[in-house]
Amino acid sequence: MLLSVKNLHVKVGEKEILKGIDLQVHAGEVHAIMGPNGSGKSTFASVLAGNEKFEVTEGEVLYRGKDLLAMSIEDRAREGLFIGFQYPVEIPGVSMMNFMRQALNEQRKYQGLAPLTAVEFLQRSKEKAAVVELEAKMTNRAVNEGFSGGEKKKNEIFQMAMLDPKLAILDETDSGLDIDALRIVASGVNQLCHSDNATVVITHYQRLLDYIVPDYVHVLYQGRIIKSAGKELALELEEKGYDWLIKDYQ
Amino acid sequence: MRTIEQKLADLYFANLDLLEEGLPAAVNRHRSDAIQNFHLMGLPSQKNEKYKYTDIRSRYAADYEKFFTPFGAWDDSWQPLVGEAFTVRLLNGYVYGEERLIALENGILYGSLRTAAERCPELVEEYYNRLAGKGSDAVSSLNTAFTQDGLFVYLPRHTAAGKPVVVIQGCRSEESAQVYHRALIIAEENAQVQVVFQSTDADETPFLINSLTEVFAGQGARIEIVDVISENNRSTHLSNQYVRQEKDSWVQTVSVHAEGGVIRTDTSTYLEGKGAENHMHGLFMAGEGEHLDSHTNIEHRAADCISYEDFRGVASGDGVGVFNGRILVAQDAQRTQAFQENHNLLLNDDAAIHTKPQLEIYADDVKCSHGATVGQLDEQAVFYMRQRGIGQQEARKLQLYGFVRTIIDKITLRKVAEAVDGLVTAKIDRL
Repeated sequence: MLLSVKNLHVKVGEKEILKGIDLQVHAGEVHAIMGPNGSGKSTFASVLAGNEKFEVTEGEVLYRGKDLLAMSIEDRAREGLFIGFQYPVEIPGVSMMNFMRQALNEQRKYQGLAPLTAVEFLQRSKEKAAVVELEAKMTNRAVNEGFSGGEKKKNEIFQMAMLDPKLAILDETDSGLDIDALRIVASGVNQLCHSDNATVVITHYQRLLDYIVPDYVHVLYQGRIIKSAGKELALELEEKGYDWLIKDYQ
Repeated sequence: MRTIEQKLADLYFANLDLLEEGLPAAVNRHRSDAIQNFHLMGLPSQKNEKYKYTDIRSRYAADYEKFFTPFGAWDDSWQPLVGEAFTVRLLNGYVYGEERLIALENGILYGSLRTAAERCPELVEEYYNRLAGKGSDAVSSLNTAFTQDGLFVYLPRHTAAGKPVVVIQGCRSEESAQVYHRALIIAEENAQVQVVFQSTDADETPFLINSLTEVFAGQGARIEIVDVISENNRSTHLSNQYVRQEKDSWVQTVSVHAEGGVIRTDTSTYLEGKGAENHMHGLFMAGEGEHLDSHTNIEHRAADCISYEDFRGVASGDGVGVFNGRILVAQDAQRTQAFQENHNLLLNDDAAIHTKPQLEIYADDVKCSHGATVGQLDEQAVFYMRQRGIGQQEARKLQLYGFVRTIIDKITLRKVAEAVDGLVTAKIDRL
């Protein structure tokens, strides 16, 4: 099992946001976590990333059999956890290439692998940029600086492709994308899925799931997963909205 | 008890013979006015607005030996930042080595100011102390009173040096000493030159360094100056640089305060001819025990000139960074474009940054802007980088490097930029 979340409770300040999440993800699977705004979806991604703003009060998260919550942010990444952010940060002055090269080589070092040579690195970035139709000139710029919303999301998937994670959590990767960008991003994600890794897409809308077909769909509401089912659940939500599901909880 | 001024004046008069020996009137005739001016004005205290954040008087209170003849031996760790260059070595203010003044085929001269004053007195006579002497401040006056040698670079019209002139200004002494650096750079009409200053010292000896550079850019001339100061943190370095630009000339100065105790640089640029363009950039990185102060002054005295200024500062530990940037646009300087930026990062609570942009505009048709910021590292960016597997310290360094490289990127000499990049990266590791 890649990820096993049991009874996860999370607070920000005095406010409890996650109230007992259970989730299991195996290699080769694609999961979708859906839910209305404010249900705790992004908090869940942030906690897995290691954002210190959030306090875990109860429960456990095992990632590839290890206690994820005890690991530093960077070690989680080095163990193969990737978070595609809803709002990727702009880092002026830091070139995309320097950033990726350092990230990749620190991960490789952790994994006991030799750093990539300059030639290998360039070859890899060229190949992976093509996956998300990211123009070569973008990778010469500073990280996300002056990128459009769509470019930032493509850039997240490009980084995912470069780092080849075991588990990718994509937080609202579809927000702010036009239909062409959505198609490109989704196709990128699909190309990266294989039997050894898993993807969790967090989304508000069903439309991303027209392109990325999940094996499981979970509905998160008020800090709990209130329903889990197969991909047909997404279609049902598209048709009927969330109301029929959440009315019992209001 | 004698005042600092009296002590220095006494030192001057007691050694005037030695100071003047072997030098022509072109240099010596300025001394008397200079020492009087120094004595009259006195070393500025912190009551002086320009020295509000930088206490230089207490640095002068200690005793520093003054030698009046060349002394000491070269430190072999002092190497030029670029190999392909015309290299001039100065030790404790005197040109070091056998080669005094080199004449290239096209009439270009570089080397010792002392030798130049002897061999081409008319040139030195015309330019020496022309900018520094006018309404001069106490620190510049002190330099003019005590200078015995220095750098001389001369380019006749329509010549280009081809390679940069790299000047290593080293200080080395058993006991703490005061050292005077002087430089005179003349580029006549359409001449081109790049000059790289490397100021450095040896060991842990405290030096009191006073340097003064005068730069003359003739019509259409192009001059680039890179000034890197890397000294021990018991030393004090006071530097004055004056630049005069004629019509359509282009001058860029990039100063890098990489390492030092107290460093104070004053750069003044006078845009005297129409269409002159000046780029003045700087980077200071003040770590524990360092106080780095950059004062700049750009005077638009003719119409249609452009100036760009970008200074960046970083302070960590108990380090202090100061930036004061004055831009003056004279009444006749219509259609002036002047742009100034100063951005700073504070890495912790004990560090300090003081920044003050000053625009004085007397013309009515101008385009001017300025912006100053003091901020901290972006922790969200650090988080983002860590999520990609980069360690916390490395993520901070990467961001810091991203902040300062804007200035390094301004250096047009690729090899120099690479070498400066190396110095800056090493400094970041120590911040």
